[in-house]
Amino acid sequence: MTETYFTKDNVQFNVEVNDWKDAIYKSVALLRKNGFVTDDYATEVINNVKKYGPYIVIYPGIAIPHTRPENGALKVGVSLVTLKTPVYFKDTSSPVKIMISFSATDNEQHLEIIKMIVKIVENGLIDKISTMTSLADLNNLIGDGIS
Amino acid sequence: MLQILVVCGAGLGSSFACQMSVESVLQDIGVKASVDHSDISSAAGTRADIIISGKNFESQFRRYDLSMDLIFLDRLVDKKEIEEKLVPVLKSKGAL
Repeated sequence: MTETYFTKDNVQFNVEVNDWKDAIYKSVALLRKNGFVTDDYATEVINNVKKYGPYIVIYPGIAIPHTRPENGALKVGVSLVTLKTPVYFKDTSSPVKIMISFSATDNEQHLEIIKMIVKIVENGLIDKISTMTSLADLNNLIGDGIS
Repeated sequence: MLQILVVCGAGLGSSFACQMSVESVLQDIGVKASVDHSDISSAAGTRADIIISGKNFESQFRRYDLSMDLIFLDRLVDKKEIEEKLVPVLKSKGAL
């Protein structure tokens, strides 16, 4: 993927949510809007989290909603949502502030998205992203984070 | 070669991210191993020497009588936690 990950169509800042399920729905809604996933994808993510626990919370402050390709992924895609009020997932000790949802159509093609997510965590960018309100700032930071 | 399998619920996101952090830790400490990722339902039949997964999967793994070493993480992409928990296992296997 050479273009920027994030555009006005797949990013929302300061989103208000009721709980972790609502956070997943609103984050995955941006994937659906862009034609990356079917209507069922968000529900499948929620069912998986109910079944297995919050495996999508990979580090304090960040959740990466996703599920198997056969659960409604149409294309490889990503979205980013920052939460106005952070939400707790079951059994997690700190609340989630940013949600990066993605869809994958096989086991490998989304590699660049995963790399970007790992860089965000390893470079300590979660808090910075959680307070952002501008797409340009976000892309500057992620650009810096990746290089 | 030592085989490490990283496991999560879907087998393509959280486990993939964790795999990258594990590979990075292995590189830092100079251990060569083959690392792969999968979802929990296909993990049961694995021949890996070490399984790494999230704390939330611990009870599910404990139900099986698995012979390999199991490591459970609070933070899947925390290199510090990975190193702390992986190093003793690698030493016990003579890989470090």
